[in-house]
Amino acid sequence: MRIAILVLAAGLAPLCAQEIKLPANVEKLAEKAEESVVVTLDSNMLRLFAKFDNNADAATKKMLAGLESIYVRSFQFKFEDEYKPADVESVRSQFQAPAWSRIVGVRSKNSDGDVDVYLKDGGNGKLAGIVVIAAERRELTFVSIVGSIEPEQLADLGGQFHIPSLEMGLGGARRRESK
Amino acid sequence: MMTRLPVVLLLASCALCAADREFERIARAVESHYGVTRTHIPLMGVANLFVKVARPAGTSGFKLALFENLNAARGYGDMSDLEQLFDELSAGGLKPLVRVHSRHGGESTYICTGEVGKSTKMLIATFERNEATVVEVQVNIDTLMSTLAAPELASKTFGIQHQDRDRW
Repeated sequence: MRIAILVLAAGLAPLCAQEIKLPANVEKLAEKAEESVVVTLDSNMLRLFAKFDNNADAATKKMLAGLESIYVRSFQFKFEDEYKPADVESVRSQFQAPAWSRIVGVRSKNSDGDVDVYLKDGGNGKLAGIVVIAAERRELTFVSIVGSIEPEQLADLGGQFHIPSLEMGLGGARRRESK
Repeated sequence: MMTRLPVVLLLASCALCAADREFERIARAVESHYGVTRTHIPLMGVANLFVKVARPAGTSGFKLALFENLNAARGYGDMSDLEQLFDELSAGGLKPLVRVHSRHGGESTYICTGEVGKSTKMLIATFERNEATVVEVQVNIDTLMSTLAAPELASKTFGIQHQDRDRW
């Protein structure tokens, strides 16, 4: 019986570890998108990356070892405005106080796009997760990172595992132009 | 101590068999789902002998299944159909890491792994407009990381483009 519970718990753990739930209307954007990417990394995978990745520095390895999951969903569109603002809003609305705090909210009138960064308080002064929603005219990216992480460490993860490169500073977050 | 050794060996051999089964399971699933049979690749066994030379650094144990003339198959090219197929397959122990769909290139790539260690079995399934390839390869962590960084290039990295048949 105990084994059955453990097996069930192990099976459910990855589901619980993913904070972001994309509604059906957002998932459907994959049919319109020129390219769509899904990356799912669980804690075992991240710990092993931390252990064996020779290219990562000690700080990045420590950060990776402390994470439970990384989930990235991105859509690239051929034309502008192929998704509706309401599509993005339906995802943003999942991250409400008191569990979540929005630390960054950039609304751009030009082509830079909108970026939102939400933090989940894990108690005892620690963070339990970060969600990044980056909406550009032709690109939409959702990132959910579960585990102990500092916002500034996001910059270290940027560019890896399809996580957008973000410049984190006092002025908020800016998406770095990737080459 | 003596009783533990056979148990460890048995577990190790079961793990190897399980990894082999995943490749066969996926190849057979593609065959049954789309009603096709894999294309015979002459001298594939011989090619495996040279795989360490021919493939990128940190790869070994190469298995390849090629499927042709898929555009005539019912449901082929339907992204949701493909997603459903892979959701079912993922329940069998493989961990899906990356899924990439490119409408422009008419290509979908699925990258799954077994248990990750210093080296791991990586399974890459690529579905193009008319052909599909399923590849299993043992890779080290650096190769796995670089594949994750640019999954859309996986088929090129491992030389599993359709013309591979001619190369072997």
